[in-house]
Amino acid sequence: MTSAPSAIASPGAPALRSGRLPLSVVIAGVFLLLAGFVSIRQAVLFLVGVGLGAALAGCRFGFTTGWRQLVAERDPRGVTGQLVLLAIAAAFAMPLLAHFSELQAALGPPSVALLVGAFLFGMSMQIADGCGSGTLYKAGMGVPLNLAILPLFAFGSFAGSLHLEHWLALGASAPVGMVEQFGAGPALALTLAGLVALAALARWWVGPSRRWIERRWMIGAITLAVLATLNLLIAGQPWGVVYGFGLWAAKLAQATPWWDPAGSAFWSQAGHAARLSQSVLLDITSITNLGILAGALWVSARDGASSRPLGATQWLTGLVAGLVMGYSSRLAFGCNVGAMLSGISTGSVHGWIWVVLAFGGTLIGIRLRRRFGFDS
Amino acid sequence: MSAPTPARTSTRKRLAWVFWVMLIGFVVWDFRTSAPIDLRDEPPLIAAGSGRSSSGGHCSMSK
Repeated sequence: MTSAPSAIASPGAPALRSGRLPLSVVIAGVFLLLAGFVSIRQAVLFLVGVGLGAALAGCRFGFTTGWRQLVAERDPRGVTGQLVLLAIAAAFAMPLLAHFSELQAALGPPSVALLVGAFLFGMSMQIADGCGSGTLYKAGMGVPLNLAILPLFAFGSFAGSLHLEHWLALGASAPVGMVEQFGAGPALALTLAGLVALAALARWWVGPSRRWIERRWMIGAITLAVLATLNLLIAGQPWGVVYGFGLWAAKLAQATPWWDPAGSAFWSQAGHAARLSQSVLLDITSITNLGILAGALWVSARDGASSRPLGATQWLTGLVAGLVMGYSSRLAFGCNVGAMLSGISTGSVHGWIWVVLAFGGTLIGIRLRRRFGFDS
Repeated sequence: MSAPTPARTSTRKRLAWVFWVMLIGFVVWDFRTSAPIDLRDEPPLIAAGSGRSSSGGHCSMSK
């Protein structure tokens, strides 16, 4: 059996480290092709994605790892980085949303689907050792389990979209956007107060004399916040990951004789149907996802990812977790990026609900991860 | 963290190549089979201030 998840360290597969210059040329070439044959906006969004991937991979900014380190090792550095990311992103996004009517918040409905989905996602992301963005950047860096998980994540997300109407029928309310409800200033104040409360909870859990700040997490937080804001300004919508995955799988399903999008409550909606008929290169989340993969690959050209060998049971467990992660991310209206980062930073109440439930799932996921020997 | 053996490195490299070939193949297949892109109907470079709302899909959408 070959390798896979867990920590990513600097010395890695030398064969993957063939230099960044050729990759830079390829990325520049893709940018020019997109600018010439798709649109300049999509070309620029591809570069934003490359930046996101380089930041995630270069800083090893793993949402999943940060949560696990907080719970298992009482190490708050990763979570501090995530709180700083949320605070900066909200400070940028909320005034922009109030000022520009074209910009949209990541508003998901508080619902039974959200509760179940976020819990399952938090659990499975620990087993798979990567959330949506984590799976992307680790796949880009060539980590075998994440390479194998990505297609399953996509099909899980697609399956979730097919069942979403049934989950929503169990109970859902209209999305709540704090910027719309209270205005940018109060919404930002409420958000920052919530983040301070989370930091206080973390302080209570880890106790005194802990190191809170680590350079790589801070650089990652600031870089990701700036790039997420650029995504919002350019695309008109917040950064997302999961929608692109589901779209890719739906595209493949559509090419078979066994699935007709007209029979799906989700994919028969005008916007989704239009995106199914267009190239994925025109889709916003797809183009940033491709950019993230390319950016992570670029980083791995010098700083490759290493990983421990996995047994057959661990592989199977990891792959099932990847499928569940895809399914649950659709029910939860996003992953750590689409629901947590984009939801909270644009004032969506569903982002806060997501965090609570996903953290609950993470507590179980960390135990399952140990049980299957991923940490040994 | 165990040091990668040559066999593991080789398998990793093969997996990564398979992944990228499949991904690029998918994008090319999709580009060739999807509706042609109308370059005269480009979205604005920057949505903010353009007067055009985003028509993109997002994870937070329920329908």
